[in-house]
Amino acid sequence: MRPLPKLRPTLWDGLVVLCVAALALGIAFFQWRSGTSLALTAVVSVDGTEVDRLDLEHWEGPRVYTNNGYTLTLSWIRHNDTENGVWVGKSDCPTQDCVRTGAIFRPGQSIVCLPARIIIRLEGGAPDPDGVDAVLG
Amino acid sequence: MRRLAAYVLLLALLLSGCGVQMSPDEAQESIQVIAMDTAMLITTYGERSPAAAYACEDTIRDLEAKLSRTDPDSEVSRLNASAGEPVEVGEDLGVLLELARYYHGSTGGAFNIAIAPVVSAWGFTGDSFRVPSQAELDGLLELAQDGPGYNGSLSHGGADRYSLAPGQAIDLGGIAKGYAADKIVKVLQEHDVPRANINLGGNVLAYGGRPDGTPWRVGIQDPARVGEQNAFAGVLALTDSFAVTSGGYQRYFEQGGKTYHHIIDPATGYPADSGLTSVTVVAGLGEGDGSGFPGTMCDAYSTALFIMGEEQALAFWRDETQWGEEGCPFDLVLVTEDGRVVVTKGLADRFTLDESSGYTLEVASQ
Repeated sequence: MRPLPKLRPTLWDGLVVLCVAALALGIAFFQWRSGTSLALTAVVSVDGTEVDRLDLEHWEGPRVYTNNGYTLTLSWIRHNDTENGVWVGKSDCPTQDCVRTGAIFRPGQSIVCLPARIIIRLEGGAPDPDGVDAVLG
Repeated sequence: MRRLAAYVLLLALLLSGCGVQMSPDEAQESIQVIAMDTAMLITTYGERSPAAAYACEDTIRDLEAKLSRTDPDSEVSRLNASAGEPVEVGEDLGVLLELARYYHGSTGGAFNIAIAPVVSAWGFTGDSFRVPSQAELDGLLELAQDGPGYNGSLSHGGADRYSLAPGQAIDLGGIAKGYAADKIVKVLQEHDVPRANINLGGNVLAYGGRPDGTPWRVGIQDPARVGEQNAFAGVLALTDSFAVTSGGYQRYFEQGGKTYHHIIDPATGYPADSGLTSVTVVAGLGEGDGSGFPGTMCDAYSTALFIMGEEQALAFWRDETQWGEEGCPFDLVLVTEDGRVVVTKGLADRFTLDESSGYTLEVASQ
């Protein structure tokens, strides 16, 4: 049996190794970030389907959503120069519950417009040990 | 160089793979659902959390299709339109009709699914609110006051025939979400879900506890500060429990300077005026009144006890003839118009008053 030829790594081999390493680091960083996301995000669902994720650090709205014959305007708000939030400033729905809810700033809080079948819910943000997991009423 | 490349590749594999192995509590699925005329949030944990969450949604959608009063194709609509003729009902509706009949009797008529035409007359089924005339209410109450007069009995397996008295109509809005919560418990068990937080629009199922091992923290909305987020009468610490709140602030309209809410007293046909602003009923998953449906029980009694008022509600909770020596299978949080929160003793160490609410806390004993 003939001995295998002795292979010498080339510059391309090194480049491939660097690419794989960079990709792996990227994936690991992404997974770490997604597991401990601190960015407060408004998640907008229409008829149960997520249609928007708005990073409140970078989004300053407003944005208009229409469904089931009704239209609402979602706006960005900053409170005490520290807290980002959202509120429904205008809606043509009959109940106006979404407008009356006011601004929301904390993860877990939500604005619901039943006539338009739209839910806006805040996710992420800094963990609040005194926060609640659910609200009755 | 080859050895170095091997090390780099090994490192790369380790790094890219390190996030894949999740503990069951890191695997989490949250979905939002609009059904049964309310917004719901389903959060499940565990390796099968996505399948479990969507199976919960399927359960809710299935029940809504059967039990909705506004869907003309639902079993309830067919029963309401039957004009006294017997109608075949499936097992879910059959169970609910029997439970509703039982709760009507146990609450002395305060829980009454046959009050539906009166609720509609006020406009709470749609969005055209109005104050009905006394003559109109008297006519509708006559049909409703004796409770659901349906005939028929349920045998296991469903497919039984029921009929309403001519002119009667039923609405299961005061019991259907609780029943959905009971069915969701089975879905979670089937999917080996270790913990879940299910909010069916004011009906909360606290399944297991938080991922950190502590109980779920469930806030009770302060009826006096409805427009404010995170304005609570207090916070409950719950594990493996159902909790349901009924309050006049949840749906209402104003006319002539007066506020009219959606919880109608079957005795008068008017919104209940009992001195309470909200009633929360809490029971453990394994508890209940022997019916095997503790979530349904909480839902029905939260409405009925709101109508009864503080004195009657506490007497009902203490009633040994009703509950026997073991005592009542649920506990209560009553918020009163005069600024008090009354908590029954089983919740005393699981309820924390929100000091900013200004309420005073009282604990009721047997």
